Amino acid sequence: MGKFEENATNRLFEKQLIDKEQMDQIAAYRRLNIFSVNTELKLFLYLSVLLFTSGIGILIYENVDSIGHIAILSLLLIVTVICYYFSFKNAVGFHKQQTYFENPLFDYLILAAILLSCTFIGYLQFQYGTFGTHYGLATLIPTAIALFCAYYFDNKTVLSIAITGLAAYIGLSVSPQALLNNDFQQTDSLSYSAIALGLVLIIWSIYSTKIDLKKHFNLVFSTFALHLISISCINNLFEPYWGVFIILLAVCCYYFYTVSYSLKSVSLFVFTILYTYFGLNFLLFKIIDLINIEDLMIPFSFLVPFYFIGSIILFIRLIKKFNKNNADDSIQ
Amino acid sequence: MIVYNKEELENVTLLDQAQSLEKAGFMNKKQYDEISKELIIPKRHNNLLIRGAFFLLGIFLYSSICSFFTLIIVDLIAENFKILIFLYALVGFVAAEFLSKQKFYGYGLDDAFIVGAQLTLALAIGISTDGNGLIISLILMITSLLSYLRYMHLSMALLFFFATTSSLVYTLFELGATGKTILPFVLMLFSAGIYYSSKPILKNLKPTFYHKGVLLANSFSLILFYLSGNYLVVRELSVALLGAEIDPNSDISFAYFFYAFTFIVPAAYLVYSLLKKDRIMLWIGASAMTFSIYSIRFYYAILPIETFLTIAGLLLFACTYFAMKKLKNKATGITFRLDRFTKANAFMNSEALIASQLGLKPETVLESDMEFGGGGFSGGGSSGEF
Repeated sequence: MGKFEENATNRLFEKQLIDKEQMDQIAAYRRLNIFSVNTELKLFLYLSVLLFTSGIGILIYENVDSIGHIAILSLLLIVTVICYYFSFKNAVGFHKQQTYFENPLFDYLILAAILLSCTFIGYLQFQYGTFGTHYGLATLIPTAIALFCAYYFDNKTVLSIAITGLAAYIGLSVSPQALLNNDFQQTDSLSYSAIALGLVLIIWSIYSTKIDLKKHFNLVFSTFALHLISISCINNLFEPYWGVFIILLAVCCYYFYTVSYSLKSVSLFVFTILYTYFGLNFLLFKIIDLINIEDLMIPFSFLVPFYFIGSIILFIRLIKKFNKNNADDSIQ
Repeated sequence: MIVYNKEELENVTLLDQAQSLEKAGFMNKKQYDEISKELIIPKRHNNLLIRGAFFLLGIFLYSSICSFFTLIIVDLIAENFKILIFLYALVGFVAAEFLSKQKFYGYGLDDAFIVGAQLTLALAIGISTDGNGLIISLILMITSLLSYLRYMHLSMALLFFFATTSSLVYTLFELGATGKTILPFVLMLFSAGIYYSSKPILKNLKPTFYHKGVLLANSFSLILFYLSGNYLVVRELSVALLGAEIDPNSDISFAYFFYAFTFIVPAAYLVYSLLKKDRIMLWIGASAMTFSIYSIRFYYAILPIETFLTIAGLLLFACTYFAMKKLKNKATGITFRLDRFTKANAFMNSEALIASQLGLKPETVLESDMEFGGGGFSGGGSSGEF
């Protein structure tokens, strides 16, 4: 592997694209022979947190009748408090800009703490009915904790858990799998609340840009908002009052098109374009349906390949324009 | 054989190298921009999302062209619809050739036609031979190799390895019961063969064009070698292929060999990869080890799943913690420090996405008095069943 890379560097040098000094620096660095297992170890930490919290969750779920409730509760509480204790002790404290733990270990510790607190509060409500019939509270409290921790510890993973909590409060499951299965909108009122939540997220991201609060969270907010609004709109396109939603979809796509430029995010850009394309095709289909050209159907289908070629050319143009805006997304 | 201009292809490698140098901080953005202006490369997309979007569009285009042809000639070949599918494959090959002549290399569109043509060809042969696996894989082996050599898409190299392996497997099936019995051992020999023949090529490959393909062969052979001796795979295959019935108290033949193999091979991969600083092998070794644990737990579940998960989580955490502590401040060799050359990792980006899968779910509290199975409060981890 290394040899291949070195070869390429040498060729760059031969073509005089890099100078001697750079060449020496690179060679000196390569001689250190660094093999960083940073990503791998972080992945293991993440996995261990997921394994542990899932294990604890199932443990409580299965043995809820056999072990003493107090024993479980106190054990859970102790573990959670320990996680919080170490995270707070090592935290940099709240800053408006992006902050990092000195040791990435604590990013995962705080994640474990959040997941365990969710289990703890859920268990409390289930067993003792602490919040009585205010079921929403049992969702809102973990969400509030998660939101606080996300901002205090600057953790995007915790932030996305908080957003799923918000969605859960209004009755939505927004996990990626639920989105893929498209089972997150059963009723109209749910999809309206999804759109409302998306709008709240957009407004919040605009506001936090204004007051300069954790601007790097905007990508997370925008991603959730884009998918929430667009999928809700698309679901509603198949209803009789689709006209309103196609306008809403158009507005939403236009907004996110500009956002993807300002955030320089390829993922937002691509998904916005795909949703727009879907909307346009839907509109086209409706128009064809409306003017009712059954006799012309066969000659019409001859045009289909040209339609695709046309749209491909359009896409290429759009992407070229976007790239000129000097795209630099993390998803390379 | 290669359809692209060789100099432009080399420029692709050089530009990639320049990009990783820029990311590592050895040159500034301005110099990189100058280099990218200097080097002419074929049209391509580094970003997987964009490439995927174009792939999707390419598939639409491919199918619409096919339906276009069908409309034209459907009256001519009323009965021989089988020919039609060969025609579709031909359309794919022609379009692939056309696009690569237009200097599309890994753009997404060309991928759609190159992959699509091969799969359509496989389908066409399958229909005309009543699904004879051996013939399909033999022909695919040749066509995918040819198109890898010509277009140099890694997907074709992967298809070639799959086709070669399945040709071997189908040939062994032809031999009857003996063939099926020796299948694991033949596959082990086969993958060892690929591994040892790819290694010297990797060491002194002068023309760099096929480097990635050989690297893929190397990784493929490691995975195949492990899987061909994995206890779970061998046991399930011997039940499926030979119809062997395994009593609760007995085991498959050579069972101890396969038990040992299941654990020794991943461990060997892990140790060897750390010694040789081979990242791909490290990942393969780690995943293989995970699969080994799963394989044994599949038959011998000593601990209930929840205890197992909790303990595994704790153990993994402890091990990682110590490893991090130990490697934290090393400046050379294996270290926890960030390598300047480490590429931005997809894992770090998808972390938040995976976590939101575990996030809170809406409660179904409207139903009566909260049945237990309703999972009313699927707090955090408890909803993340495996």
